[in-house]
Amino acid sequence: MKEEAHAWEETRQVAASIIRKRSEAGHLTSRREILQELIEQNLLPPCPDEPVADADLQSLLKAATEENEDLKELLGQDGVPRYFSVEFLSETYARILLHKEGDPLDMIAEIVRENSAKYPRPTSLETLQGPPFDLTADQIQDCLEQMQGQAGYEDIAQIRTSAGTVFLYSATHLDPAYASMLAEWLDVGQFNSP
Amino acid sequence: MAKYGGWAGKVLRVDLSTGRIWTEDTVEKYKDYLGGTGIGYRVIWDEVPASTHPFDPANKIIFAVGPLAGTGAPCNGRTAITTLWPTCWPQPLVATGHMGGQFAAELKYAGYDAIVVEGKAEHPVWLSIVDKQVQIKDARHLWGQGIRRATIQISEEIGPEAAVAAIGQAGENLVPLSVVINSFSHSAGGAGGVMGSKNLKAIAVHGTGGVRIFGDKAEWEKLIQYHLSLLGANNQHVVPGSPQPWAEHYNPASRWVASRGRKWEASTPAVETGTCEPHNLNRIAYRTNNLAYFLGPGDIGWKYTVRGNGCTGCPIRCHNVLKVPSVSAKYGIPEVGQNTCAGLFFGRAFFQNFPDGPKGLTAIESCMVGMHLADDLGIWCNYSQLQRDFIKLYNNGTIKSKLGEKESKSYSWDKYEKGDPSFLFELLPRIAMKEGELGTALGLGTGYLLERWSIPEEEWKKDSKTCYWKLGHPRHHTSDEAGQCGVILNTQFNRDAQCHSHTNFTRNGLPFEIQKQLAAELWGSPDAVDVIGAFKPMNVYKARFAKWSLMRKELHDALSLCNYMGPWVASPLKERGYRGDDSIESMLYSLATGDRKDRQELDQVAERIFLLHRALTIRDMGTKEMRTQHDTIPEWVFLDPAGKPPFTQGTVHMDRNDIQLAMDMYYDEMGWDRATGAPTAAAYRRAGLREVAEELGKRGLLP
Amino acid sequence: MTPFSPLDSTRLSQILSRRQFLKLSGVSIVGISVLGVLLCKGETNAPLIIMEQAQGIIIADPTLCVACRRCELACTEFNDGKASPAMSRIKVNRNLNFGPKGAYAGQHGQGTWGNELVTPDFCLQCAHPVPCANACPNDAIVVKPPTNARVVDVEKCIGCRMCQRSCPWEMMSFDSEAGKATKCFLCDGKPKCVEACPAEALIYLAWRDLTDKVPIRVAPTSVISPEKAATCNECHKK
Repeated sequence: MKEEAHAWEETRQVAASIIRKRSEAGHLTSRREILQELIEQNLLPPCPDEPVADADLQSLLKAATEENEDLKELLGQDGVPRYFSVEFLSETYARILLHKEGDPLDMIAEIVRENSAKYPRPTSLETLQGPPFDLTADQIQDCLEQMQGQAGYEDIAQIRTSAGTVFLYSATHLDPAYASMLAEWLDVGQFNSP
Repeated sequence: MAKYGGWAGKVLRVDLSTGRIWTEDTVEKYKDYLGGTGIGYRVIWDEVPASTHPFDPANKIIFAVGPLAGTGAPCNGRTAITTLWPTCWPQPLVATGHMGGQFAAELKYAGYDAIVVEGKAEHPVWLSIVDKQVQIKDARHLWGQGIRRATIQISEEIGPEAAVAAIGQAGENLVPLSVVINSFSHSAGGAGGVMGSKNLKAIAVHGTGGVRIFGDKAEWEKLIQYHLSLLGANNQHVVPGSPQPWAEHYNPASRWVASRGRKWEASTPAVETGTCEPHNLNRIAYRTNNLAYFLGPGDIGWKYTVRGNGCTGCPIRCHNVLKVPSVSAKYGIPEVGQNTCAGLFFGRAFFQNFPDGPKGLTAIESCMVGMHLADDLGIWCNYSQLQRDFIKLYNNGTIKSKLGEKESKSYSWDKYEKGDPSFLFELLPRIAMKEGELGTALGLGTGYLLERWSIPEEEWKKDSKTCYWKLGHPRHHTSDEAGQCGVILNTQFNRDAQCHSHTNFTRNGLPFEIQKQLAAELWGSPDAVDVIGAFKPMNVYKARFAKWSLMRKELHDALSLCNYMGPWVASPLKERGYRGDDSIESMLYSLATGDRKDRQELDQVAERIFLLHRALTIRDMGTKEMRTQHDTIPEWVFLDPAGKPPFTQGTVHMDRNDIQLAMDMYYDEMGWDRATGAPTAAAYRRAGLREVAEELGKRGLLP
Repeated sequence: MTPFSPLDSTRLSQILSRRQFLKLSGVSIVGISVLGVLLCKGETNAPLIIMEQAQGIIIADPTLCVACRRCELACTEFNDGKASPAMSRIKVNRNLNFGPKGAYAGQHGQGTWGNELVTPDFCLQCAHPVPCANACPNDAIVVKPPTNARVVDVEKCIGCRMCQRSCPWEMMSFDSEAGKATKCFLCDGKPKCVEACPAEALIYLAWRDLTDKVPIRVAPTSVISPEKAATCNECHKK
C-alpha cells in the first residue's frame, strides 16, 4: 500500500515535471501526451486500458495541480483540458496557445473582445499578423467574412484609421466613436506625440 | 576627501568677453539646488537681469548636470541647458533644453558639475576642457562648418574620447530654431543660437577622473541592481508589445517591441531580440527598438535596424542605429544614421504623402535625409512644430503668397508634393542659412513666424492639428492623452512642457484596473487616472498626480535622470503587482552623495527648483497674473470636431469650467494664490526662497 | 613531495637550478602546479616570472555592444567605489566614437561616427611571457587564485607605469588617486562587467590564448632589465 502510494507520488512528480518542461518549450500539454511520456518512462504499463488509464491520470493530475501552485488546467473548446506551468507560461499566453490550436475565427473574436474589455483598446490586423498569433492577411480576411454571416459574432466590428490601418473591436465593450478615437490614437496620435 | 559623493565639486565659469576662466564650489553654492536646472535657474535669477535678450552677451547659458550623472545609476546621461529662450514669444523667458549622449558623464569625469558661459568672444572660439586644463581656443577654421566636421576636427585635436557639444550653421546664424548636438545625434533644442551669439562653436570635454559614490560600494551595487530590476523599456513601458510567454499583459502600443522572430536585421549577422524575460537584466538593451516603433509596424523598422545606442550608462538604448543602403546612391549621404522620436522623423514630418505610402521605403529615406541635414546644420524642430507649421502654411496658401515669384520658383514644389526626400536639400540648408523669406521665417519659431507673417496666434490656438499651445511652442503630452493633468502640466513652462512623468505611467501598458490600483497607492485614489478618451471630471487626486509629475520632472532635470524613463512607479514584475518604487530617486541620491534625503525631502528640493522657475517667469514677465497671462490654454483643447460633449467616451476635449477647477486645485496643491496662480510669500519661504520672495515683493509681484 | 614555497628563492638556489627542478618535477612549464609565482634563481640573480595560465577570460562581441559603458561603470563603481571609466579594466570609451583608429578615421572607421561597430577591449590574461608582469620592476603583477588572473599587488606597485607601456593592447589601467596600476582581475571569477552588460555582449569563458587573434593597439615601449631578460635563457637555452 505504502509502496503504491510512493509510486503514485513519484508519478505525480514526473507528470508535473513533464508539464513544466513542455511549458518551458512554449507548449501546452494534453493528458494523452503525459500518458505517452509516462509509458515511455516505465511509470505506467504499456498499452493500458485507455479509459481506465485516463481516469487514473485525471485524478493524478488533479492532485498535482492542487499540490503545485504553478500548475494550471485550461479547458479547450473541445472540452479537452490542457496543462501548463505559470512558471514558464502566463495564463494569457497559455490561452493564446490554446486558441491557436482551434479555429482562428474564435481566436480573433476572443482576442478582440478581451482587448476591448480589459485595457480597453481596439486590435489592429497587424497585431493579429504578428507573433504569436501569426495569422496571414488572407486568413484574417476569411475569418472576418465568415463572421459577417455567422451568429455570435455580431459584436465584432471594423474601423479604419486616417493612416489606413484597420482595427477590430467588440461593440459590446466599446462604442464606435470611442473605438475610432482609440484606434486613431494608437495608430497615429501617439506617434505624433513621441 | 570631499564631504559628499556624487558632485564633482566645481562649477566652471567662462566669460568669453574677457577670456576670464574661474570656478565656484558646487556644494557650497548650489547644493540646495542639486544641479542641472537647479543651478541653471539659480544663475539666471542671481546674475541675468529681466529683459535681457537671449542673444545679448549679458545672457548666460548654463550646461549643468546632477550628482547622479556619470554614475552607474540607470538613465543618467542628461545635461540640462538653461538660458533665456530665443523662441519664447512674444518675450523671451527662461527655459531649459536637454541633451543626452556622453557629455554629462564626461563633464563629471573632468571635475565639473556645470559650465556657465557668459559674454561674447571677439571671434569664433571653442571651449576645451581636459580635466583641470580649460582653454578658450580659436574656432575660426571651424566656423561655417557643420556640427559633424567641427566635432571630428576638434576630436582630432583633443582626443577621440572627448564629448563634443557643437552648433552648426543654424546656431552660428542665430537661427532661433537651432540646436547644440553632442555624440552624433543627441541634441538640445533652442540653445544653438545662444551659443552662436557668443561666438561659441563648441564645448569639448574630456575627463580622466571619476565620480565618488559616498555609500558602501556593495550597497550601491545592490541598489543599482534593484533599480535595473524595475526597468521596463523606453518610456518605462512595462508591458511587452506582443504576447510573450512570461507576460500576463501586452500592449501593441508599447515600446517594448522585442519578441522571438524580431531581429536587428541590418546587423551583420542579424541579432534575434527574443522574449526578453524581465528578470534577465542582461537583455534590457533588446527590449526597445524605436525604429520598429516609429517607422512602421510589422517588419519595416526591423529590416533597417543595426542596433541600439544612446546615453552613457543607460541600458535602454533608445537611439537606434539604422542602415538604409538605398540612400547613399540616391542622395549621396551615409547609409548609417541614428536618432529617436522626433529627431528620427525630422525629415519625414514635412511631407504629406509619399509615392509608396506613409510607411514605405521613401518615408524611411526621408528620415535619413532629414537626420543627415538637420543634425549637421543644427536645426531644431521644436517638437515637430516646425513641420506642422510648414504643412499648415503650405496647405492654406500662405507660403505661396509670402514668397516672391523668384523665391517660389527656386523650390521644387512638385518634389515636395510627390514626397521626394531630396526636397529637404532645398529647404533645410536655407533655414540654417536664413536664406530667403521662407528659410528666414521658418527658423524663427512659431511665435515670431506668425508675427512676421501677420497671422494672429488665435488661428493656431483654435486648430488642434497645429498642436500649438502658447508662447510659440507646442503641447507636450496634454489633454489628448492625460486629461486635466496634461493640461495643467502644459501651462507651467515657457516652452513645450517636456514632462513625461505622467505619460510614462498612463502609457505603460498595464490594464486599466492595475493602473488604478497603483494610482491609488501613489496619489491617493484610483480616480487620479482616467482611461484615455473616457475622461472624468476633475478631482483633487488628479491635481496631486499633476504636481507629482512636475516635481519629478524638475527633480530628474536637476539630478541628471532621464524624464523619458522615470519615475519608476510601475515595473514589469508580476510578483510586485507591477509596482515600481516611488523612492528610487531619493535612494540613489542619498547613497551616491551621502546627503540622506527621503522621498518627500527630495521632492521638496525639486519644488524649490520649480518655484525658482516660477519666480523667474513672474519677474521677467513683470506680472503676477500668471493664471490669466501665462498659464493659458489654447482654444482647441475645448473643441471637439464632432461636437461631442466633454466627459463622454470617444472625446478628449475638456470643459472650460472643469479646467478652471483643475487650475484651482493645482494652485491649492502647490500652496499658491488661486486668483493669480502666483506663489505666495509663504510658499517661497516654505521652499527656502525667502530672498526670492523679498525681491518679488519689492517689485509688487507677490499676490 | 614537499610543498614548494614560491617565495623562498634563497632556499631554492641552494637546492636546484631552475632547469634541474623542472626536469625533476617532470612537468612542462605551462603545467606547473605550484601556486603563485615560481621564483627560481638559476645562473643569474634576477627572478624569473613564469605564470600559470589564467582559468578564465572575458570576451566581448562588438556586433552586440550597444556602447552603453555599463561595463566600465560596473568595473570601477562596484570594485573601487567610484565611477571612473578612465581606469576601467574593460575599455569601451576609447573605441566608442571613432573605433580603434581614433578620430583620424573620421566617419570612415568604426564607432558611433563610423559604421557603428563598438569594440570593447578586454584583458587577454596573457600566458607566459606576460608582458605587464615582466615589465614590472617590482614583480608586482602576480597570479591570483582561483582564477589565476594576472593581478596588480598594490602593496608592491610603485606606480612607475612601466606596465602600461608594456601591454600591446593598452589594457593596463592606472588609479591616479591611489597612484597604483590596476588591471582586470576577473572579479575573482564573477566578472562585474559581464553581469552588467545589458546586451549580453560580454561572456566569461574558460581561458584560451587570444594573443595572436586580437590585433594590438600599440607597439610596447617598456623597458625590461637585462637581468630579467637574461633569465629567459634559464629555461630556453639548449
